Amino acid sequence: MENIQFIIIIFFSPLIQGIIKKLKANFQGRVGSSIFQPYYDLMRLFKKEMVVSHVTSWIFRVAPYIVFVSTTMAAIMVPVITTKSTYSITGDIIVLIYVFAIGKFFMALAALDAGTAFGGEGSSREMMVSILVEPMIMLCIFTTAIAAGSTNLAVIAEQHNTILTPSHMLAFFAFMIAIVADTGRIPVDNPDTHLELTMIHEGMLLEYSGRYLALMEWAHYMKQMLLFTIVVDMFFPLGIAYNGGMSEIAVSFAAYGIKMIFLACVMSIVESTRAKLRVFELPSLLGGSFALAVLSLLTLIMIGR
Amino acid sequence: MEKSFDLSLVNDFISVGILLTAIALNTLERLESCVKAYTYNSWLLFLLILVPAVTTNNPHLYVAASLTLATKGIVIPLFLRKIVYQQKLVHQVQPYISNLLSLTLSGILITIVYASLSKGISVTGFSNHALKISIAVILIGLLIMITRRKAITMVVGLLFMENGLFLTGFSLTSGMPVIIELGILFDVLMCVIILGVFIIQIRHKFYSVDLDKSTTIHDQLTTLKG
Amino acid sequence: MTSMYIYYFGLLLFIAGAIIPLIYPQKMKRFAYIFPTVGACAFAAFGMYLLFDHPLDISAVSITPLLGFVFRGDAISGFFILLISILTFSVSVYSMGYTKNMANKGVMGVLFNTFILSMYAVILSGNVITFLISWETMSIISYLLVTFDREEESASAGLLYAIMTHVGTAFILTAFLLLYKYTGHMDFAGIKEATNDIPAGIKTIVFVFAVIGFGTKAGIVPLHTWLPRAHPAAPSNISSLMSGVMIKTGIYGILRIVVDILGVGPEWWGIAIIVIGAMSAVLGILYALTENDMKRFLAYSSIENIGIILLGIGASMVLASNGLHTLSAIAMTAGLYHTLNHTLFKGLLFLGAGSVVHATHSKNMEEMGGLIKLMPYTAFFFLIGSVSICALPLFNGFVSEWLTFQALLFDFKSASAVAKLIAPMSGAALAFTGAMAIACFVKVFGISFLGMPRSQHAENAKETSTSMLAGMGFLSLFCLLTGIFPGHTIKLFSSSVFLLTGADYSSSGMGILSMREISSSISPLSLFIVMISLFIAAVFLVRIFGGKRKITYGNSWDSGIPSLTSRMQYTATAFTNPIRVTFKKIYLSKRHTKVSYALKPYFAKAIEYRDDITPFFEKYIYQPVTDFIHSLAGKVKHLQSGDLHLYLGYILATLILLLIFWS
Repeated sequence: MENIQFIIIIFFSPLIQGIIKKLKANFQGRVGSSIFQPYYDLMRLFKKEMVVSHVTSWIFRVAPYIVFVSTTMAAIMVPVITTKSTYSITGDIIVLIYVFAIGKFFMALAALDAGTAFGGEGSSREMMVSILVEPMIMLCIFTTAIAAGSTNLAVIAEQHNTILTPSHMLAFFAFMIAIVADTGRIPVDNPDTHLELTMIHEGMLLEYSGRYLALMEWAHYMKQMLLFTIVVDMFFPLGIAYNGGMSEIAVSFAAYGIKMIFLACVMSIVESTRAKLRVFELPSLLGGSFALAVLSLLTLIMIGR
Repeated sequence: MEKSFDLSLVNDFISVGILLTAIALNTLERLESCVKAYTYNSWLLFLLILVPAVTTNNPHLYVAASLTLATKGIVIPLFLRKIVYQQKLVHQVQPYISNLLSLTLSGILITIVYASLSKGISVTGFSNHALKISIAVILIGLLIMITRRKAITMVVGLLFMENGLFLTGFSLTSGMPVIIELGILFDVLMCVIILGVFIIQIRHKFYSVDLDKSTTIHDQLTTLKG
Repeated sequence: MTSMYIYYFGLLLFIAGAIIPLIYPQKMKRFAYIFPTVGACAFAAFGMYLLFDHPLDISAVSITPLLGFVFRGDAISGFFILLISILTFSVSVYSMGYTKNMANKGVMGVLFNTFILSMYAVILSGNVITFLISWETMSIISYLLVTFDREEESASAGLLYAIMTHVGTAFILTAFLLLYKYTGHMDFAGIKEATNDIPAGIKTIVFVFAVIGFGTKAGIVPLHTWLPRAHPAAPSNISSLMSGVMIKTGIYGILRIVVDILGVGPEWWGIAIIVIGAMSAVLGILYALTENDMKRFLAYSSIENIGIILLGIGASMVLASNGLHTLSAIAMTAGLYHTLNHTLFKGLLFLGAGSVVHATHSKNMEEMGGLIKLMPYTAFFFLIGSVSICALPLFNGFVSEWLTFQALLFDFKSASAVAKLIAPMSGAALAFTGAMAIACFVKVFGISFLGMPRSQHAENAKETSTSMLAGMGFLSLFCLLTGIFPGHTIKLFSSSVFLLTGADYSSSGMGILSMREISSSISPLSLFIVMISLFIAAVFLVRIFGGKRKITYGNSWDSGIPSLTSRMQYTATAFTNPIRVTFKKIYLSKRHTKVSYALKPYFAKAIEYRDDITPFFEKYIYQPVTDFIHSLAGKVKHLQSGDLHLYLGYILATLILLLIFWS
């Protein structure tokens, strides 16, 4: 059980996306599509014929698989409902961030492969956002890792099971902003747009179609859910199972589901109430949250919690 | 003892003669005369070496004397004369300063040398004044080099300096090993030949042997670098 | 004794490699590089011997009791010998093809071999004199190699390099003289034994001078200006050696003098090194990003990596001064591991860049593009180098960066609040450089290898010769091996770590790197296996559920404009624009746009766009210093008017003054 918990991420991640979309539609006063719509989309895309530019090279064709595989790899390393398994494999959170980076690297390369301006634009902006987000994520991780005495996500999840400290609160807010940026949501990026001048993530995927697009999209959903899971593990691990007992896992699964839906709500509220920022206003937003992360570290040094 | 005193007197006379030729250089205006002054200077130097050679009957001093005569007294002056005539450099030494001032400066130099060396090195045996005179000649040679424009005058100044140095060495050691003297003489010869060639070349390139023009080379170089 | 034979065998081969091209300039093209190839293997074996066995006195030629040549090897030198040997091997193989059409082949062969020998000599030096002579020889030969192309750019780069390296040597010399004065020894071993006699204040001065002196060679940030100009100016096989190993001699110097000889110092030493490292890493990669010259870009990235190495070393020093020796050993392992890694991937990348420059006759990325189809193998190896340097898992860069992160986290255990704050902040800086490195290498690889060819030259590029590919392939393989077998790699140089920190980091198994202290571990090997199997599974599952792949080939999306030309692609400058704008306070960028209109304001005929960044250090530190020296020189210049008479006048004046004062 504990060794296949990553299956949850793989199969439920489109659902989370569907829930967020549905909630957003409701906030905007629309009925919206079904929460299972992402599944239908993926299935349709897998069956579809692909149009590939003849400018592209093997990077373009390999990238979707690499992105998908690296995200799955990350999913394997994260304790989803039980902390037991990840001791045996490598549950290190710094590794996790770098495994994500594999996907990011190849996605950005693939975007440049077709030789279009849109791909370059998306790739370039994605890199900018990731440069601003990465140090912030790392500082948040440091704060929690220092408090827990380990960079292993399972250990972090087990040790901070009870209460949030001031430093964790600050790190949590910083981390949430990082997630918004990393998953390409408003106010950083607009996931629904296909307007050339505003897109970041979609710009990179513009040349993709058929099963490649399906893999890329699916990996994106998985990454979103994974980041939620990391938040849950780092800041609200309450309810997570310590071992593989059936009853504990059932409780943990329920708790996990509630937490995921809660985070989906938070995301859709943020998306519905904020406007997208101009690209060059991002540094001030992300710089602000970097300051939060530094503050959380300072708090940890000063008051020790 | 007595003999050596006599000898020292003779030496003094010759040394003073050397100094006089050097001083005379300050006032000469014709290049030909400058070369002549150098010739006299070299002959006097030859005599100065010959005197101890005769008295001590030292064969190596004979060799040194004859070599001095051959190179400094005959070959170099002839060569210089040839350049002077070939290049039609007969007239106009054109000093930066007037002859009178040049002469005065030479006097000051001699005074300084005498004043500073009076209690300095006690010259062993050879001559009371030879050392002081030799240094004065070096300085006067340098002064000539500074205050004259033509490359050939500078060569003459250099040769005077060299004679002065030769005299210094001689007065301090009563004759260096012959091999060193040979070397020095050969060096001087080469030096003069090379300088002669240079003078011809400078003339060729710049249509003048006026060394004032050499600053323009420097300026060109700096503008190139800048 | 065998090791001595190996040593002399290797030495002989290099000397032969240096001499033969002098005798037979026509037939040299084989031997000048075959000899060092074999010689490098011999030296690699010798380095291994030093790492696994005992220290070794090689040869001592004493001139006087104080002056003499002493060569000695221990585990620390063994590690660096191994680094040089690995890279020399690949670069020699590469050079066989690379130098084929080069002018002055004979000179190149001689300099190549002597350059490598001088680096070995620096590492193996056993006393101050030997070290300084070897160090200067290395500097001079590398200067000759920088100016090898005889272009104006190389000449000015060479001049800057010569000046900087001599300023650095002056500091090193002063540090050594101070050590000699207070210990009375010229021998490193003797100095090390007598370190307790040195007063604390003097130790600090020696530390500062050694860091400045060796830091100049390593290229730490305010002293880095020569590096991005000199490294690209040299031929690419030499750039590879310079960036791969020569700058590591600076690291070696810091390790030898500061960590080995001076021993454990006050905590602020380590903090200073961490701060320098973080600054070098961040600024190095920031400047790298804006660079469109492929080789100069790589040179800037070397500055970044030197910074990362120093982060590990600094963290180790902080931990050592807090008495945490085991953790200090882990941090030192991180530093040395990254040293090894940087040698491998930077060597590889420079060789790759060399092939690309060779094929396209341009260093400018904007004139490349689409090379992945024309030079598939070069592109593949370059990709491996990029992935390694970006610290992506499965390749070696990742292991050392992970270790460095852990090392910086350990620093939180130190007593002072400054270290507690600095270390995690440096960790954030390291994360920043990691993300920046990804952006940088996406740019380099994406712009130069992907897309459409941007110039005629790029269209006609051809794959390079087999020997060049072999050199790169060898390094690529090493990048992968050291990436998935970190345990073995660490065991290889654990004796050097022990020598430097007095503790062992040996809690590593096959492909697993575990730390009991923080109950965390990584296993690149299992990561590798899992990812490969996931990849295969993904491909199969997609095939099963999606059916047969149906692909239509067409043009890239052109927004309805009929023909998409290569000029419509995103350029390297455009790619970095968002980042340049974000960090404009650091770049101090100035942009100029000039539009000429056919009909104002709607029909623009031509738009000229320039965006320059201001190199902060060059403009605000080096320029004022240079200006001051220039103005001083201008004043002194009047003394040197070029007037012969005036010069003679100086002589006369001096003589007269001497006469007067002498009496």
